[in-house]
Amino acid sequence: MTVTRLFTDIFTITEFELRKIWHDSSQVFIRAVQPVLWLLVFGEVFSKTRVLPTGDYSYLQFLTPGILAQSVIFVAIFYGFNMVMDRDMGLLHKLLSTPIPRYSIILGKTLSAGVRSIIQALVVFILALLIQVHLILTPVSIIGVLLIITLTGMCFSGFSIFLASLFKTRERMMGIGQAIIMPLFFASSAIYPIDIMPVWLKVLARINPLSYIVEAMRSLLVSGDYHRIGLDFGIIILATAVMIILASTSFSRIIR
Amino acid sequence: MSVIEVEGLVKRFGQFTAVGGISFQVEQGEIFGLLGPNGAGKTTTIRCLLTLIPPTAGTAKIAGFDVFKHQQQVREVSGYVPQDVSVDGDLTGYENLLFYAKLFRIPGVVRKERIKDVIRFMELTDKANELARNYSGGMMRRLEIAQVLINRPRILFLDEPSIGLDPAAKRVVWDYINRLRNEFGATILLTTHDMNEADQLCDHIAIMNGGKIAVTGSPSELKAGLGGDIITIVSSDSNCRQVLEQLGYRLMPRSQDSACDLVVDDGERKIPEIIDKLRSHGIGTLSVSLKVGTLDDVFLKYAGKRIGEGDLTFRTTRAVRRTARRHG
Repeated sequence: MTVTRLFTDIFTITEFELRKIWHDSSQVFIRAVQPVLWLLVFGEVFSKTRVLPTGDYSYLQFLTPGILAQSVIFVAIFYGFNMVMDRDMGLLHKLLSTPIPRYSIILGKTLSAGVRSIIQALVVFILALLIQVHLILTPVSIIGVLLIITLTGMCFSGFSIFLASLFKTRERMMGIGQAIIMPLFFASSAIYPIDIMPVWLKVLARINPLSYIVEAMRSLLVSGDYHRIGLDFGIIILATAVMIILASTSFSRIIR
Repeated sequence: MSVIEVEGLVKRFGQFTAVGGISFQVEQGEIFGLLGPNGAGKTTTIRCLLTLIPPTAGTAKIAGFDVFKHQQQVREVSGYVPQDVSVDGDLTGYENLLFYAKLFRIPGVVRKERIKDVIRFMELTDKANELARNYSGGMMRRLEIAQVLINRPRILFLDEPSIGLDPAAKRVVWDYINRLRNEFGATILLTTHDMNEADQLCDHIAIMNGGKIAVTGSPSELKAGLGGDIITIVSSDSNCRQVLEQLGYRLMPRSQDSACDLVVDDGERKIPEIIDKLRSHGIGTLSVSLKVGTLDDVFLKYAGKRIGEGDLTFRTTRAVRRTARRHG
């Protein structure tokens, strides 16, 4: 009974977040601009120069999972900002005055970030196929990648909501969104292999969940080499759980 | 029976005391107003009662449920319409209602019926399928109230229900609030800085200032406590003054022969009585005027100042409402 209720609450919140995209899909395309630039401009140029050692694969093959992850993070990291917006209106107070538990609200919001991320990632996917990046497309790899994208969306939107409960204002959250995405992106294996990094950056990349997310997607879509995928998934699930717990426990501070 | 019981409620934010130990009761089926300027602690009080923020000290019970121990039950019987925009501009009116119907866990079989009911009650039928951001301020307010009505709350908390609305829309909202009480039997706790609103709507009010309740009572009691209204009667009959004195009315000494100033309680109701009595003594009246004590005078008496800062909130809320329409 309570489990059914938990899922109904979560899906309700997710459903209505997604209905908003249905009413206004323009932001899906606006948010696609940056990943598209990375693939078309950065990716194309660097694959011509061949300066990065990406082994048996072309640079575009190497880069595509990284850009997929990046577009997901772009969606997710602004959830905290949205939460602050909802607080500044009266939406959040009203939501919190209903009987539904705080953690259901967080699970619903983060899950919707996950689903929204899939929509965002599809744009990048389609583009990658259009410019003929060779990717492994089997049912296993596709389902695996969708799962990772959903978890990534949940993980980083949870992180963002947690930050919102600490920083509380729109201006700060706007700045934090910008300040986090790029370092996260550069200190990971998204655009270059970890092997060529200086030691200090290697350390950062090794503790950055984004590295494991990209690694897992790369093994599913590019190499087909699954020997580390268990570890990757383990770390992704752990990071997501930690972020959601942090967000759920701290989140009601946002209205104080 | 008291539906809301508050005893010594205190809320501090760090060094700042927002609510400094207030007590009041709200009876079943009444409209109770917390009246005071911005920063008086009204919204903080409501948020404590709704379990949104924990009180620092004191006790409060909503429909018998303690706000510390039974948060879930308190939320189940309450409906809250915050001061700021609380509908999602990116969803249609109908979707905004469906969302809350699901959040309140209204069973699927009655959901549609309930939504239809509140749409009809709040007269939103025409625009139910339009995005809420295109609604006028008054419609948005009605949708906001409709959202919480879906759960048929026993107690409604309305924070500044008519703020930012033009006078016509304001009246419409007042109308609905009255009907909510009369038709649904809901108990309503509202906050306002608008004297007129408190006077028109509320059965009882508590005047708040600086986190404290200065005085509680019905609007007419509080106004009567001012010492009374002044009725000025002009008559061509020179005996008028004499007759009024014989009838036992209190007259102001500086009255001239043709005009008599009477100090009475509840002036509006006294006028017909006075005219009748004068007529029975054969005295006709040329004109009668009344100066009523207002709640503003009451506030002045108990808080030592007038409520003037209301305009600021008005403007900011208007701005928020505009933003809501643009961005959702």
